[in-house]
Amino acid sequence: MTDRVVELSHVRREYQTGDVPTVALADVSLEVRRGEFVAIVGPSGSGKSTLMNLIGCLDRPSAGTVKIAGNDISTLDDNQLTAVRSKAIGFVFQQFQLLPLTSAVDNVAAPLLYQGLRPREAQKRAAAMLTRLGLGDRLDFDRGRLSGGQQQRVAISRALVTNPDLVLADEPTGALDTSSGAAVMELFKEMNAEGRTIVLITHDLDVAAAAKRRIYIRDGLIERDEVGSMAGAQ
Amino acid sequence: MNLWLTFRLSLSRIAAAKVRSGLTMLGIIIGVGAVVALTAVGQGAQQGIDDSLASLGANQITVSSTTTTGLEEVDAEAIAGIEGVLQVSTQVNSRATASYGSESIFAGIVGVSPSYSDLANPDVALGSFLPTSPGLQNSRTVVVSAEGADKLGFTEASLGDSIRLDGVAFTVVGVLDDADGFGAGSNVYITQEAARSLFSKSPYLSSISIQAVSEEAVAPVEYRVEQFLRYSKGVDNDEDATYSIFNQAALQDTIKTVTGTLAILITGIAGISLVVGGVGIMNIMLVSVRERTREIGVRRAIGARQSQILTQFLMEAVVLSVLGGLIGLIIGQLASYGFSVLGGWDFFIDPTTVGVAMGFSALVGVVFGVWPARTASKLQPVDALRFE
Repeated sequence: MTDRVVELSHVRREYQTGDVPTVALADVSLEVRRGEFVAIVGPSGSGKSTLMNLIGCLDRPSAGTVKIAGNDISTLDDNQLTAVRSKAIGFVFQQFQLLPLTSAVDNVAAPLLYQGLRPREAQKRAAAMLTRLGLGDRLDFDRGRLSGGQQQRVAISRALVTNPDLVLADEPTGALDTSSGAAVMELFKEMNAEGRTIVLITHDLDVAAAAKRRIYIRDGLIERDEVGSMAGAQ
Repeated sequence: MNLWLTFRLSLSRIAAAKVRSGLTMLGIIIGVGAVVALTAVGQGAQQGIDDSLASLGANQITVSSTTTTGLEEVDAEAIAGIEGVLQVSTQVNSRATASYGSESIFAGIVGVSPSYSDLANPDVALGSFLPTSPGLQNSRTVVVSAEGADKLGFTEASLGDSIRLDGVAFTVVGVLDDADGFGAGSNVYITQEAARSLFSKSPYLSSISIQAVSEEAVAPVEYRVEQFLRYSKGVDNDEDATYSIFNQAALQDTIKTVTGTLAILITGIAGISLVVGGVGIMNIMLVSVRERTREIGVRRAIGARQSQILTQFLMEAVVLSVLGGLIGLIIGQLASYGFSVLGGWDFFIDPTTVGVAMGFSALVGVVFGVWPARTASKLQPVDALRFE
């Protein structure tokens, strides 16, 4: 298995809006190795969401190659792309995006069920994951009965339960108050310390400070790639 | 995601929006309910008609007099000799006051010839029908219809008692069952000799019942009887006839045609209402797909294939429609039960109706659910996640 979880080489992505093509990513090349904790930082309109979609196997590049866990996604059809996504990526969204009318444990079990795991086994693993993240007493709560911080922990459990190559988090603290947000960032740090590869997309420099490496993106291009502690941060 | 889980998810979806689900199912509920009830009414009515026709006896033709002097004893004798006729029976009708104890009613007096019970096969609830031996034809015995017995206040002990017909005492030997056509009307049956000597002194007949040798012989016998009567009565135009001929088989054919038309009508109503119900389901499913675009995006992101999204939405449409069908079926059966009580026929749950109702409901769900489900499955994950 390759050590490079994410490999982008001269990736370009443009959208057709009316007659004018909009360039979201002009020419981006980057690599993320196993065990890294990377923040992709940029203002809105910088192309960071497009980058996230490509890394998350939700979209294909207009030019260049994107390899996720060794799979070149530009050549895959929808089913194959879904298979890569299901196996390699765990998503954490800004608005948590828990499934409606579904208990915490069933939310976490859902990716396993889509993989074809038997319901009983899926539930067992989901419950174990939630318990590890401190939600063992809230397995049957649906999203209406969970706080924002708890919902995000359920979402993180859902991202981790398939044991993915990469956890891809899009503004994971954006909808949380400061202390819940800080707790979630602590959780990401712990996960990374356990060897998880994490890619975090954010516009918030304070959040980005928690990562070990920061890739600044602007106008569809990488502006700066910075490893180590952020200047001015602890 | 296995089917059972998908099914449970669909149920919780439907339960979470009860009013909306109920309104969506309404078309199917009304359609299936109406068809089930109408079919049961049709079958019940058919059964009732069949029963009363069967009770008339098989292979029968009835010639009724349309004037007071339309038919004579000689006609009956001649008809008895026509090829294909097994036996004939004659009736003379009149009316008289029947009284029993303090009760008194105006009753139809039916004077029947001895072969009547053999030919018409009346159902006797109590006692027996009139005596058939030649020596007893002048006896003062009477058989009372169920309605007549009811109005006169008969009990089981009334058998053997006397009733008075215009003051003349008759011994009650039997009471008819009311399950078939004989029960209706306050009629009393007495021997023809008694009727002639007391109530109907003219030599004319009210009607002649003819039994053909077989079902196939009914039509030719009818033809021959008609030819004979035309000739013997000198009838040139149908309007001049002093009699009318009634053929049970012909009536049955007419009824079959009517019920056939009715069945086509019911099928038409069923088809239209199911299509309307299906469009309702399709409409709400399209709305649902739009409302749940983000959810679809999330499901795609966490690993759902297009086919799994398709299955989920298709399942929801089918569950909605089958549930609607089931509720319609229950309502329809309750209505049929009500109709059967009112109409006095047997209530039964027809497995064919149940099967067809459920089968068509499921089919409607699939047919009208496919498009919304395909729409859902074809959504691009990126677009779906971005959807506000």
